[in-house]
Amino acid sequence: MHIYLLYIDPGSGSYLVQVIIAAVLGVAVYFKNIRMKIKSFFSRKNKDEIPPKDS
Amino acid sequence: MADHTRHPASYKDPSGFILPASGKFYRQVNKIYASHYDLLTRSGLSSFLQEKKLLLPHEEVTENILHSDDWYLTLLPEQVPFTSYPYEWCFEQLKDAALLTLEIVKFSIEKGMILKDATPYNVQFLNGKPVFIDTLSFEKYDPSLPWIAYRQFCESFLFPLLLSHYHKTSIQPYQNSYPNGIPVNITAKHLPWKSRLNPGVWLHVFLQNKLSKKPNHTGLTTSFSKNKLFNLISHLDGIIRHLNNTDKTEWSNYYSESISSQEYLGKKEEIINNLLQKLDGRKLLDLGANEGFFSRLAAAKNFDVVAIDKDDQCINTLYKKVKEENITNILPLCMDLMNPSPASGFANNERTSFGERIHTDAVMALALVHHLAIGYNLPFSKIAEYLYGFSHQLIIEFVPKEDEKVQLLLRNKKDIYSEYTREHFENVFRQKFTITEKVQVPASDRILYLMKRLN
Repeated sequence: MHIYLLYIDPGSGSYLVQVIIAAVLGVAVYFKNIRMKIKSFFSRKNKDEIPPKDS
Repeated sequence: MADHTRHPASYKDPSGFILPASGKFYRQVNKIYASHYDLLTRSGLSSFLQEKKLLLPHEEVTENILHSDDWYLTLLPEQVPFTSYPYEWCFEQLKDAALLTLEIVKFSIEKGMILKDATPYNVQFLNGKPVFIDTLSFEKYDPSLPWIAYRQFCESFLFPLLLSHYHKTSIQPYQNSYPNGIPVNITAKHLPWKSRLNPGVWLHVFLQNKLSKKPNHTGLTTSFSKNKLFNLISHLDGIIRHLNNTDKTEWSNYYSESISSQEYLGKKEEIINNLLQKLDGRKLLDLGANEGFFSRLAAAKNFDVVAIDKDDQCINTLYKKVKEENITNILPLCMDLMNPSPASGFANNERTSFGERIHTDAVMALALVHHLAIGYNLPFSKIAEYLYGFSHQLIIEFVPKEDEKVQLLLRNKKDIYSEYTREHFENVFRQKFTITEKVQVPASDRILYLMKRLN
């Protein structure tokens, strides 16, 4: 074990990795939302174009 | 009650400590934790988690048992009948404890609190389900900070689960070797290369390992938020939910593969049911429980069963059944009788040995003796003495040498077991017990005994 690891606060070492992971996840969620919006836009459009039959 | 002291394992947290007094476990809350404790109650988080059965219920007691100056409040939690440790849990139990911890973090941040530590020792199994026991782990949440317990969560939950998942091996060796969590560099070295292809594993293990080698980035606490933390917790939850270590082992089909199994099992079930009725008390220890067929039989007869087997897969199966069928009175645990949990932790008194913890009214040892005697060369006298130490009643099965299972054990071994006979077994056990009942299981040469301890 590197000697400095024995002296740092157990939580502090993990802050940087959480900041990076949260950023990555933020981007992932952002694109997922866009994809969902596009998907729902087209599915709505399709529904508008083909109205349900009454008869 | 003035001569009581705090529990030897309860020294880490200045917020309070566990206090055994008058046969019960209390928890003292210190003045330093007062504001956090009040928030836990005032925010409704405590009652919410208790209603959802995620947090062990407690009552507030106004007695300062130790007459200590730091005293703020005493809690009397619901008592846990048997304390188990994470190195005695199967994969699925550790996984459920991890998911419980994450669920509690999610609910807590909604109510303005967070867990300041994340160790499996804060979880116990009660009524077949994991429950969070450390009421003093909650603290006021600062949304600008990441999770202080993230690393501890990874080391003590995520990493052992990942190693066991990727190697499809039992989780016990990891838990026994690293009772306080597996360091990230060890995990990174031991995970197979293909695990890097999983983005979640890469982020939480390999990236964390790279960054942990860089000293001192304590200043980097910028721009965290509740939303980010929520995403992080959900991500961990998603990874863990997909993990399993299912692998077929030699024991997992013990009963289903046996040719005469149906007839044999039916008859054995009838005899065991009859013997169980003759036991006093409600606590039963099932040694070598396999997938818990007979533990469940005993549970149906209202026994509180601690079911032990060394095979992680068998206990996984039993634990899943306990969950599915909502069985509240079986605690499945993984333990090797040739190496039961020792007393461990600082000064060997943080965690007591299995023998010291277990208090039972009866022991059931079915199809076990031949494994100990022939598999591990244990003399009958040692087995009798060990079982004698547990309780005054014993249901035990003798499997003769001619039995196919014993022949399987002897297949690649020199037969040095001339003393392995029914007569010798009975003679040795009679030195410690009285044989009150003896029944041969039809469709086999196996014999079931009910024995009472000689006093």
